[in-house]
Amino acid sequence: MEVTTRTQGDVTIAAIAGSLDSITSPQAQQALNAVVAQSGPKLAVDCSALDYISSAGLRVLLGLAKQMSAKGGSLRTFGLNQTVREVFEISGFSTIFRVFPGEQDALEGF
Amino acid sequence: MGTGFHMTLGAHLSDVARVHATFANFATAHRVPPDVRRSLQVVLDELLANIVTHGLTGCAGGEATIDVVLSAEALVVTLADNGPPFDPLGRAAPDTTLPVADRQIGGLGVHLARQMMDEVRYDRRDDRNVTVLLKRITEIEGTSRA
Repeated sequence: MEVTTRTQGDVTIAAIAGSLDSITSPQAQQALNAVVAQSGPKLAVDCSALDYISSAGLRVLLGLAKQMSAKGGSLRTFGLNQTVREVFEISGFSTIFRVFPGEQDALEGF
Repeated sequence: MGTGFHMTLGAHLSDVARVHATFANFATAHRVPPDVRRSLQVVLDELLANIVTHGLTGCAGGEATIDVVLSAEALVVTLADNGPPFDPLGRAAPDTTLPVADRQIGGLGVHLARQMMDEVRYDRRDDRNVTVLLKRITEIEGTSRA
């Protein structure tokens, strides 16, 4: 699991590669905390290289959403594969996160 | 008959990491479709993390096993542990419609297992918790199957 960040205009994009599970989540949590600390109010999470996510990973993303909302910012996600989308839907996360097909869609009007 | 593998786990999360790595290699080697492999990894992570961090913790000689069998039609995974009786399917599904601030993650793992697998069964057998997962395979990558 690896988290890399880049910026596109005033949007911070955090890309998560690999899996978000009970093994990798503590490390992801740390990396994403650092991202939130440095990010402006607009954060997009790039999931195009995210292989799968379990509830341990959902917990990390939920924490991320709460931190962003606490600082008056907002969060968007994009690039989910079929399995990640399925996990989002089953867990009700598709109603918490704004999910976009690709990066362009996510950045449009953000 | 099919192909498969067997592993033994102790009460350590590093053992779950070992299962993930072995399972991913097995799935790739046997051309299991990626979405089937990913669904299984999600569910294995939920159930195994629960077994090693709750079921086996503080249980002297606590041990879990995983048996994976792949046939042309399905991937069948049997998880067994000698921890105290615990039926993971006995929990109620969480409320996934609550607003973000009230959302609880607990109990979601089993909900994911039920939704993502074609069959999930629990049995207490010979002093062990036995959970059987079945995911049907409609097509093995690169080959066509009737």
